[in-house]
Amino acid sequence: MLEIKNVSKTYGNGSSSVGALKDISVQVDDGDFVAITGPSGSGKSTLLSVIGGLEKISAGEVLLDGRRIDNLNEKELVEIRRNKVAYVFQQYHLIPSLTALENVLLPLTFHGLADGSRKKAAAMLQEVGLEKRAKHKPGQLSGGEQQRVAIARALINGCSLILADEPTGNVDQKTGVEILKLFQKANEDGHTIIMVTHSPEVARRAKRIVTLRDGEIVDQVNQEGCEKPSGKGGIIQ
Amino acid sequence: MKIYQLVFRDTLRRRRRALFTAVGVAIGVAAVVAVLTVANAGEKRIYSEIDKYGPNMMVTPAINDLDLKLGDLRLGSLAVGNNLIPEGRVSEIRQITDGAIREALGIQDQEDIATIAPKLFVATTVNGTSVMAVGFDPQQESAIKTWWDISKGRYPEQQNEALLGDRASSALGVDVGDPISLNDEELTVVGVLQETGSQDDYQVFAPLGTVQKAFGKEGLISSIDIRALCSACPVESIADSINKSIPGVRAVAVQQIAESEMNLVMKVNRFMLALAAITLVVGVFAVVSTMMSSVHERTKDIGIMKAVGASRGQIVRMFVYEAVAVGLIGGIMGYVAGTLLSYVLGPLIFDGLPMSYAPQYLLPALGLAIAVAIVASVYPAFRASQVRVAESLRAL
Repeated sequence: MLEIKNVSKTYGNGSSSVGALKDISVQVDDGDFVAITGPSGSGKSTLLSVIGGLEKISAGEVLLDGRRIDNLNEKELVEIRRNKVAYVFQQYHLIPSLTALENVLLPLTFHGLADGSRKKAAAMLQEVGLEKRAKHKPGQLSGGEQQRVAIARALINGCSLILADEPTGNVDQKTGVEILKLFQKANEDGHTIIMVTHSPEVARRAKRIVTLRDGEIVDQVNQEGCEKPSGKGGIIQ
Repeated sequence: MKIYQLVFRDTLRRRRRALFTAVGVAIGVAAVVAVLTVANAGEKRIYSEIDKYGPNMMVTPAINDLDLKLGDLRLGSLAVGNNLIPEGRVSEIRQITDGAIREALGIQDQEDIATIAPKLFVATTVNGTSVMAVGFDPQQESAIKTWWDISKGRYPEQQNEALLGDRASSALGVDVGDPISLNDEELTVVGVLQETGSQDDYQVFAPLGTVQKAFGKEGLISSIDIRALCSACPVESIADSINKSIPGVRAVAVQQIAESEMNLVMKVNRFMLALAAITLVVGVFAVVSTMMSSVHERTKDIGIMKAVGASRGQIVRMFVYEAVAVGLIGGIMGYVAGTLLSYVLGPLIFDGLPMSYAPQYLLPALGLAIAVAIVASVYPAFRASQVRVAESLRAL
């Protein structure tokens, strides 16, 4: 369970300081699928970075499974990234010199889990429908395919919390639906997902929508039951 | 997939970059290998150039010149002792000299090492003109006096053959093919020396045995010129041991020559080393700069790796592995390039001296290349490990 308690994030000092997050409190239960939405500059990406330990906060605390993760040192962050939190980025962020399969293998490589890892990576690629593209490099894949590789990479370590920053921001709508389906499937498999998106249509795919504006939560909608995870994406169209 | 496999694949696919870094290493290594190979092949040449300085030790009879003085008035000197050396001493001197060199250089075989030229000087008259007859060993003498040149004919080979100094030939009116008699010993002139500007020009040379027999001095010699070059055993100490163990002779190191020779050898070695060190430093900087730009170029990749769970230590390790791979490639390239370079430069420096391939430098060259690459990648690797995930992933 992820708890965000009274978190503030301020850039700069004194009179010139800018509050990116103002006293935010959110609770995300295990197995939840939360969409953080809002106009650009509302602080949604900052919130995601804070949750992932990528940025320090100015006040408050972030707890993952009861343990504070907002003030971790480098070593503890590595531990969290290997076992608990995985990222999916808008720009996919694959290593260009490695094949799709090797990119998926990367987390296991750093985790030191080499045994049977190739098989596992191949299975993950199959899961996202890319088994035939295993030997292709990112440059030879379409945007949607690259994002699917990135999702397979996020899932391979079995991290419970997946943080996605505009995962459909760089692909067309049809591909976007396919990618969202993968997130929904992962959610069904037990992964907790927190996804940032500026698109209300994409956000509607989640179980819960948290809307930010100027660093503050202005709306929280629980839409469980309103939207079937297995829906055909009619909403987006 | 292990980390080294990851690095191997990554490096292989970014060949051009890796090659560029390897070239930096190769330049440093090539320079060092070229310098060492040239120095290695040139060393003998340097020694033989030095050999042209002539003898560096002389052995004379132990005559004590006693200065006779009365107050400030000098009354001349009194020679005490025999003024000739038994010929048997030559082999004893050779034993001591060669023994010292063998010991210092760890040489096993028993061949002659030092050049030892015994001589017998006798003042005589030929065709009514006073000349110095010199009994000598043509082979050893010409080895010591490398500046000697025969202007006509050849060196004596038979006992009844003689060699004339340039001035002696003209003063006596004797040329190649003419007969000459030394104290009734009939000889044939077979060669005339080119003018040397030394006393040699006025002398008549004949094989040692012939001169000894002609003047009734069998088994005797006047002096011995020795050429013993050995960087690890100063001639002074060889001279000392000769003086201590052989009675009746006095061995003197020709200080000036010995010292300047050793200086020359040392300076050449130092110069070579300095040259190698400078090129190595240049090589290190070339690698540091290419490694730094490699880190810069891959800031994003490093950020991604950290985002998926790479620790700082693993990032550093990746750069060190890459350095080893690059060092190995650079080392091989540098060794080959350095060897080729030495084949071009060596003959230019040492007047056409043929180079020989120096396999003993291969392993040190590879070791050096890898060490250089690792040293040069320490700072870049440290910088890489400091890359923050958020910064690298946002900077797009």
